[in-house]
Amino acid sequence: MLRRLAFVVATLAVAACQRSGGCTGAYCGTLVIAAVGEPDILLPPSTQEAVSRDIEEQLFLKLADIGLSTNTIGDEDFQPLLAERWEWDGPLTLVFHIDARARWQDGQPVTASDVAFSFDAYTDSMVASPFRAALRRISSVKARDPQTAVFRFRERYPEMFYDAVYHMRVLPAHLLRGVPRDQWKTAPFGRQPVGDGPYRFVAWKAGQTIELVADSTFFLGRPAIRRVIWRFTPDIVVATTQLVADQADGRDQLVTPDNIERARAAPQLSIYPYRGATYGYLGFNLTANGDSTHPHPIFAEREVRRALTMAVDRARLLKSVFGDFAKVPPGPVSQLWWIWDPELRQLPYDTAQAKRLLSARGWRDSDHDGIRDRGGQPLAFHVLVPATSTIRKTYARLLQEQFRLVGAQMDIDEVDNSVVSERAAAGKFDAIMLAWNTDPTPTSGIPQVWTRAGIGRSNYLRYDNPAFDALVDRASAAATREQARTAWRAAIETVSADAPGIFLFANDNVAAFHNRVTDVRIRPDSWAALLRTWRIPPDRLIDRDRVER
Amino acid sequence: MTAWLARRVAASIAIVFLVVTLTFVLMDLAPGKPMLGPPERPVDPQAEAVLEAQFGLNGSLGVRYVSYVRQLARGNLGESFGLRRPVADALAEAIPNTLLLAGAALFVDFLIGLALGVYQALRAHRLPDVVLGNVTLFLYSVPTFWLGLILLLVFGEWLRWFPVAGMSDPILCPSVSSFYCLMDRLWHLALPALTLGFVGAAGTARFQRAAMLEVAGQDYIRTARAKGASERRVVLRHQLRNALLSFITLFGLAFPFLLTGAVLIETIFAWPGMGRLATDAILRRDFPVVNAAVLLASTLVVAGSLLADVLLAVADPRLRVRGGETV
Repeated sequence: MLRRLAFVVATLAVAACQRSGGCTGAYCGTLVIAAVGEPDILLPPSTQEAVSRDIEEQLFLKLADIGLSTNTIGDEDFQPLLAERWEWDGPLTLVFHIDARARWQDGQPVTASDVAFSFDAYTDSMVASPFRAALRRISSVKARDPQTAVFRFRERYPEMFYDAVYHMRVLPAHLLRGVPRDQWKTAPFGRQPVGDGPYRFVAWKAGQTIELVADSTFFLGRPAIRRVIWRFTPDIVVATTQLVADQADGRDQLVTPDNIERARAAPQLSIYPYRGATYGYLGFNLTANGDSTHPHPIFAEREVRRALTMAVDRARLLKSVFGDFAKVPPGPVSQLWWIWDPELRQLPYDTAQAKRLLSARGWRDSDHDGIRDRGGQPLAFHVLVPATSTIRKTYARLLQEQFRLVGAQMDIDEVDNSVVSERAAAGKFDAIMLAWNTDPTPTSGIPQVWTRAGIGRSNYLRYDNPAFDALVDRASAAATREQARTAWRAAIETVSADAPGIFLFANDNVAAFHNRVTDVRIRPDSWAALLRTWRIPPDRLIDRDRVER
Repeated sequence: MTAWLARRVAASIAIVFLVVTLTFVLMDLAPGKPMLGPPERPVDPQAEAVLEAQFGLNGSLGVRYVSYVRQLARGNLGESFGLRRPVADALAEAIPNTLLLAGAALFVDFLIGLALGVYQALRAHRLPDVVLGNVTLFLYSVPTFWLGLILLLVFGEWLRWFPVAGMSDPILCPSVSSFYCLMDRLWHLALPALTLGFVGAAGTARFQRAAMLEVAGQDYIRTARAKGASERRVVLRHQLRNALLSFITLFGLAFPFLLTGAVLIETIFAWPGMGRLATDAILRRDFPVVNAAVLLASTLVVAGSLLADVLLAVADPRLRVRGGETV
């Protein structure tokens, strides 16, 4: 028996040693990313999942991309990618010159026709792209010649260049033209894409991995890390465990302080905090639960909302939930936005004033049960919380206690995301815990969620203040960054004073990567955007970097 | 026997059909819309409507059900909303992974469970039996996911003896192409299979111990001993063999149980099987995948039960039926 056991152990040991040696040098690294979730499809206009966009970042290029400053106004901070240069031909016409060296990975050149085709696909209602609305102010894209693409806009505004380049990745027209648009949602191309980016698609093992390999002929420079593998896990805890156990090299967001501490304690990992794109809040439905034609019996009153906001010690809650890895937002603002300014005027934490305001509006504890009431109706409401969000569930419990201290009762309804979505869209809630993940500019995120134009779409709270809408319009149309900043400040202070929600957190993102990886630069809006410039120096290679297949 | 079998098969098909119909209706009634996405994703009602039409979600429940049954009769399980691919393709990739995990767990379950059950029965009411009885009781009452998390923490994260997730090393062994990769696959299989197997083995051991003790008091065991058969022969040929009859029923039901029990384990160990596929699909309201997963699970449960009945009839002459009557 012992002999047999020894044989098995010896066989395993020999087998374990069989894969040593292999690649050496500057272009050998392998990066294993522990991803939460799995892409739906790798066809940029049809993509819904965040992890798809990270992978597409390596496969499909944009004409140009936003810089590390994430400045979206004008074009001075943008970096050339497929377009080697561009110029304005009048106030409404933007001309891009495609880099003649750019090639699809099947050898075909990337042309202006590909650009025009891509715009047509992104804006085709049959493709149902989530980016379609973002391109609405571009009237046409045409190929003037194989190297020149011409964008025409419907109007002049400060973020014309951003709209032209940020939302749309250029697609290979010669491979996709024959696919009927109503079949793009499940097109085989989306599971075996051919791109023009720094990495080539190698394999997709459903539920397990997607593997990309560096394109050594990439026209903007050979990526230093030879192979990138996304390893899919069902949740953030499993992903962090993989990372800590040294079975993955990196993760872009650790999300909770627990995960951050686990990663910090792992000797092989380095931590990279960067500006987060998310802000979270408790939103009040301003119309009756399930009936948008009537005002909400509690939250329709501005003073009641202000009182509840003043009842919450947001700084203390933040510390308790996030530790040092988040900030209290001055309104519906993420740290990613350039308008972020903690000095903006906000409602203070003042429970005495909160109680006075509630009493002044007739909410008194007439039956001495600890809950205020008015006309027989208690100051009680339900909050909708996604059961999958640990952060928001924790916040809901803490808020419950803070409200209780001023005589308000909040009951928590924890439901899955699908139910939250459906009830939010239908207005079937009193209050809701939301966390918006924003793109780099407030001009898309704020109108969608907080203006009248967003009602029936993402303005679930039905917040409607014409003065606020006018300020947002003025900010979006401002010719200079300073004019825009002034208008945005006024808009944010207006919405904060109206208190349609209690703005609770704007988290920092914290990434962790193996400390053999150098030159790690993370662009806050898309952590993987600069992956092609990261390196693993030859003297730091480990076994998995050297493996040849 | 043939008529009995035909009746059982017909009843089994009817049960599966009923379960599938109920699932279709219940999924439709469940709150949540498949094309809506998370609440924080900007809502585009127009895009939502286009996708609903493209995935055939815009008809009435009756129209969609008839269409679903028609497609099912042709062997078409539909297209997944979330995975953006045919459901059959997704199942074809996930089923072998789950079968591998469930098969390995079943092996651990029965191997350890049988051995422990027999060992305990032979030492009934003595110290080893009492100790093992308490250990198996503890394991039996432990939630599978909890045991999985503990094994993961101790042997995966702290000691690093086993991989913490996935079913192979994505760099060295994307496929089983060598002996090394076969070992790698087994290495990845170890923790999830042991988790499922240990919990199952605890139940199996208790079941087998009781069956052995019940058989031990039978006349034929006394007769065998009176005829001078060795203790080893009495235990193996007479006692164990007869105790195994009820074990066949357990076997028939254990496999589907393991498949369903694998749901949480597949999530904890990021094992890309049916359980994880079904869980994700339920959360996404990906109806075609949920319907297909239920169809598969109910077929397995019914087939497992049928198989157990057939095996019992074959193994135990007393239960054999001929022309609908017990002989």
